[in-house]
Amino acid sequence: MKRNIPLAICLGMGILMMIQFFVPHPASVAFYDLTTKWIRIVSAFALVLGVGSFVMYHTEKLRRRRTGWPYSIVALVAAAVSTVVGLAWGVKQTSPLQNYIFTPLLVPLNASMFAILAFYMASAAYRAFRARTKESALLLIAAFIVMLGMVPIGAAIWGKLPDLAEWILSVPNMAAKRAITFGVALGGIATALKVILGIERGWLGGGKQ
Amino acid sequence: MKFFHYLLKIDRRIIYIVMGLLVLLPLVKPLGLGVTSGPRAARLFRAVDSIPAGKALLISVDFDPASMPELYPMLTALMRHAFAKDLRVLLCGLWPTGTGLAIKAATEIPPEYGKKYGEDVVYLGYKPGVDAVILGMGENVKNVYPNDYSGRPLDSMPMMRRVQRLRDISMIVALSAGTPGYSDWLAYAQSRYGMKIGAGLTAVSAADAYPFLQSGQLTGLLAGMKGAAEYEVLVQKSNYSKAYMPAVAAMDSQSLAHVVIMILVIIGNIAYFATRKRRS
Amino acid sequence: MHISHSFLTWVAAILTIGIFSFLWKDNPFYKFCEHLFVGVSVGYGIAVTWYNGVYPDLVTPLFRQGKPLYIIPLVLGLCYFCRFIPKVSWVIRFPMAFVLGWGMGVTIPAWFQTLIVKQIQGTLLTPAIFARWDVLLWAIISFVGVICSVFYFFFSKEHKGALKLASETGIVFLMVGFGASFGYTVMARMSLLIGRLQFILRDWLGVIK
Repeated sequence: MKRNIPLAICLGMGILMMIQFFVPHPASVAFYDLTTKWIRIVSAFALVLGVGSFVMYHTEKLRRRRTGWPYSIVALVAAAVSTVVGLAWGVKQTSPLQNYIFTPLLVPLNASMFAILAFYMASAAYRAFRARTKESALLLIAAFIVMLGMVPIGAAIWGKLPDLAEWILSVPNMAAKRAITFGVALGGIATALKVILGIERGWLGGGKQ
Repeated sequence: MKFFHYLLKIDRRIIYIVMGLLVLLPLVKPLGLGVTSGPRAARLFRAVDSIPAGKALLISVDFDPASMPELYPMLTALMRHAFAKDLRVLLCGLWPTGTGLAIKAATEIPPEYGKKYGEDVVYLGYKPGVDAVILGMGENVKNVYPNDYSGRPLDSMPMMRRVQRLRDISMIVALSAGTPGYSDWLAYAQSRYGMKIGAGLTAVSAADAYPFLQSGQLTGLLAGMKGAAEYEVLVQKSNYSKAYMPAVAAMDSQSLAHVVIMILVIIGNIAYFATRKRRS
Repeated sequence: MHISHSFLTWVAAILTIGIFSFLWKDNPFYKFCEHLFVGVSVGYGIAVTWYNGVYPDLVTPLFRQGKPLYIIPLVLGLCYFCRFIPKVSWVIRFPMAFVLGWGMGVTIPAWFQTLIVKQIQGTLLTPAIFARWDVLLWAIISFVGVICSVFYFFFSKEHKGALKLASETGIVFLMVGFGASFGYTVMARMSLLIGRLQFILRDWLGVIK
């Protein structure tokens, strides 16, 4: 029962929504409207899992005094303060959440985290990108043409370079990415069917229950 | 030969310093290389330009501050273009951390054109659910967003009297840093409701969007900061805006950064093959 | 140089430098910034989800407008909390089954149409491409590229003879595609660094306007 009823719900919802796509009858549209509203609500609650895992991880680290435990205090206090400020004063443009948390804290931290990747890319390019085979040489040549063609200096070096880069993107790159898209789509549809039909049961979780 | 060995073992921090300086210098002393627009950006520009005055353009803000340098200039340029053409701009988002950026744009750009919130621009806010949000908007926007991001009822906004569902919107432009993003708008808004969709993407995902561009599913594509610069240039050249163009200002640094990476790869390969020959 | 007098701009700049300090080596300031980022992200996400998701979609219709049917998504959403109680953690399967079944059901026709049908239509050689020689040539190259790249991923048969030739041609297209992606990835990472430097030089130090 603990596994069969969820599998039955999954099967029922999956088949109904697939059929609904092709049926314009008012009852079908009403069902679609209703479930669309419910899904948004249930999806919002999924945040609980992420927040719960975050809190459990850091409280456990604090409890056991693992390496770096003082930083867990920083994380938990920051989460608590942001939550209280956000819930108490709202998310409007003039709210403390936007003025004192989003703009001066979240924006620079988030942006900087990804900005340092540029340096890692430079270091990795120097140390690891080797044209050892014909295929890797071809990859690097294509990369160089695109890198130069997509910035103004490429046009300054050779007027036709941007056109060549555009051709590489529009023809061979497009063909390769389309093939990958077919694979991803067929794999995704196959997996979706397996989930609906109960062949793929990994989402039920382990255990005897 | 020792020189090549030294090159291979060079401290990574030296590479970081060289990289940082060479990217920093053109920001302080521009090289003046200039920016020209490409065919993809021009296609999107023409599509937005052809929307009749008074009609609505939906911009989906599907990015966070990490992708701000690439996508925020696209957002501001698109909004300036839309307001100059007297279009109504509807903003929404599938990423929670994009909320602050959309609010910033919805507050700062409209006053430049004398546009008012609620009449010419509305920001709906973030909503969890992705496919449920898009599919719900297809039937009735107010079923999904009864209020805007600040809690104000949509019924109280003059602009929303003419925008009831997705088909009342002329075009959707999805500014996406990943998933959820333009692929969801294509899969649900276009397949079900036949919407015209353009995309502004981070450069990481731009190469993957070319199949959709070629098949006609995407009407125009802005790729990375270069794409943002191209659109800014088009908006300025058409006299729709005289505002500062941050993406254009960054292009000289971008050019130099690419040259540096190429030189590093070439040097690394030369040093590698030189030491490999010696060893064999 | 006109250094900013805004306290919040200084906070943003110091946090940016804190994240960048990791490039030299790992240090307590970086760890503080990292944990602050995680905590603030969680809190911001909770506030935004509540005000934009849960409150207008559930609280208002259920408690203010008195629509009892919304109890069903509320109960389903609350089931997520059972994840943290080991004895009843299996209850989480109900909302997951609902969301997965719904999601898979809407995905299958949407993906089929968008990622397979439309993409096949784009690959086909139609009479319109004969209008110009270059359009015809690039269309043929793309067609060959898509077919050969798809063949590369066909592992049910050994790559021998014609299949081997097609597969090796596919590799060429795939390498060019990956090269183009790499070129674009370099552009993306550099852009993020440039964005942060623009903030430091323009908004904080006032070196550029």
